[in-house]
Amino acid sequence: MVVRSMMRVGVASLVLVALVCSGCGKKTQTGSSASVGTPAKSGKQFTICLLPKKKGLPYFTSCASGAEQAAKELGDVNLIYDGPTDGSPEKAASMIEKWTLKGVDVIAVSPNDPNVLAPAMRAARQKGIHVITWDADAPTDAREYFVNQATAKQIGYGLVDAVAKDIGGAQPTGKVAIITATLTAANQNEWIRYIKEHLKDYPGLTLVATKPSNEDQKLAFQVALDLMKAYPDLKGIFAISSVAFPGAAEAVKQSEKAGKVFVTGLSTPNDMRDYVKDGTVRSVVLWNTVDLGYLTISTAEALASGTLKPHATTIKAGRLGEKRIVGDNILLGDVLVFNKENIDKYRF
Amino acid sequence: MGRQRLQSFPYWHEVILAAMLAALLVFARSVAPEFLYPGTQAEMSTHIWELALLALPMTLIIITGGIDLSVGSTMAMCAVVLGLSYQAGISPWVGALLAVLTGAAAGAANGVFVARVRVHPLIVTLATLAAYRGVAEGISLAKPVSGFPAGFTVLGLGSVAGVPIPGLIFAVALLAAAVVLGKTTTGRSIYAIGHNELASRFSGISVDRIKLALYTLSGTAAGMAAAVFVARRNTAKADIGQGMELDVITAVVLGGTSIYGGRGRIVGTLLGVLLIHETREFVSWQWSRDELILIVVGALLIVSVLLNTVLSPRRR
Repeated sequence: MVVRSMMRVGVASLVLVALVCSGCGKKTQTGSSASVGTPAKSGKQFTICLLPKKKGLPYFTSCASGAEQAAKELGDVNLIYDGPTDGSPEKAASMIEKWTLKGVDVIAVSPNDPNVLAPAMRAARQKGIHVITWDADAPTDAREYFVNQATAKQIGYGLVDAVAKDIGGAQPTGKVAIITATLTAANQNEWIRYIKEHLKDYPGLTLVATKPSNEDQKLAFQVALDLMKAYPDLKGIFAISSVAFPGAAEAVKQSEKAGKVFVTGLSTPNDMRDYVKDGTVRSVVLWNTVDLGYLTISTAEALASGTLKPHATTIKAGRLGEKRIVGDNILLGDVLVFNKENIDKYRF
Repeated sequence: MGRQRLQSFPYWHEVILAAMLAALLVFARSVAPEFLYPGTQAEMSTHIWELALLALPMTLIIITGGIDLSVGSTMAMCAVVLGLSYQAGISPWVGALLAVLTGAAAGAANGVFVARVRVHPLIVTLATLAAYRGVAEGISLAKPVSGFPAGFTVLGLGSVAGVPIPGLIFAVALLAAAVVLGKTTTGRSIYAIGHNELASRFSGISVDRIKLALYTLSGTAAGMAAAVFVARRNTAKADIGQGMELDVITAVVLGGTSIYGGRGRIVGTLLGVLLIHETREFVSWQWSRDELILIVVGALLIVSVLLNTVLSPRRR
């Protein structure tokens, strides 16, 4: 008896789902190419999905604000900004799959795990959807373009220029050192290569040491103290990982060497704001995240509308002007340096 | 039906869930008909199989008054075993079998501590929630394994006569769980343990054996879920299934299983899983706001419990 009525409830609800589903199925023939997005008032409206690594991070929220600007200025863009709030790559892949089902025009992905996302991105491309990456890249066959915020060269050169400017003078002179993540970290080693290359343009600056901090802020703090002890006339430190930078800055602050030893690195304004305000750090190197979102949507729209031709070497991106395309990389351009004067304009 | 009979009608919760599901689907149909196309639904169903598989043993465990918080971590450990064995040159199918065995062993370890050592399941599985994740990260060195042969991805993406293969696995498991719980002495013993464990022991029910079996089953399901996951995403890595345990418990509790034990049904869990799945997918489809999903699922849980209390005041 119990089992029988239990089955009845179960079967009834399954039949219900099936009924509602099949009822809709019949409509498929008439409107199979139904695409989402509000019908255009004039001309075609493009639905562009912007997927961040993790929704809710100030970094990505500021990218999204630039994306909204671009969508508003272009007028023919229906922007969807969504991503996993917990940063889970599986959820991100599910979102790409859903957008593929909806038949959107462009999906712009900042992959938090290229291995997991690439199959979904390839499947979207097979269905004729444009897929691009931004902020971080995926395997090249999974996307058409990569909106590259900063090349390793731009970052390496930008860091050297920042320290040179902080030390000051027409011919900045002194000893400098690098605190990296681990000695095998691929990104960092690429940057170090360009740091060394650009240091040749400043003959007064000599690189005396490159030390690992193993992604440990305490270790970075200790390494910075040791460096300042070993080289009492040390002038600059490149702390090139997200934890090495605050660690080294704290070391400079506690040993009261602000203004004597200049630390720089890559970070978001929020993370380094206090050190910049109290004068410990003069320059924080990053890129303009608002412009990154803006350029991504401009690229996506150009791709969807067909104005971005294969083998083009430049792209017109609204208020950003012309941007260079190298191969399948669309370059945002120079890095952005945050200092005491401008840091309060950036809230991420 | 008289008032008396109305109140003692035992399926209010299932009826409420079915009504909520119906309301959702009707609404979805009116605002986004393409959401309900069979093709769309089939494609989206791939997002739920792991949760659905894990919800079945979890229902049985919660009915006994227990809980298994380690399912997500067990999944990760099994996925890593699959990945590493494939890397070592073993066929992924054998690897999947190893993953299931790993899951069974991990579940059995939970079961031994719960049933034989008599530590509270919340504490045991809270410990293994951390420990299994640690093992997964330790043996994989947090490196993902991908590039499984296309033949293997069938396990996650293939279908037989339009029914996804993980769906078939789930259907078999669902039927087995429903029959065991609803029709066998073991099923009645499971309810009895949840109502009064001590009395069950005195009346000769082999409480320890049943508990050991249920936790082993839960681990086995985690192993199967891991194999399905790896096949679908073509990646085995140590950080999968994070927070999975809470999603599974939410579905089971939404399905009407009492967290205090002694009450619950497989059909309720099926409805709970369906309702959560369709809600999540629809919210994401229509509004593209990931944060909204969490709110809506939370609200769903509260509304279903409230309605249940209002409609059947005699049920605790």
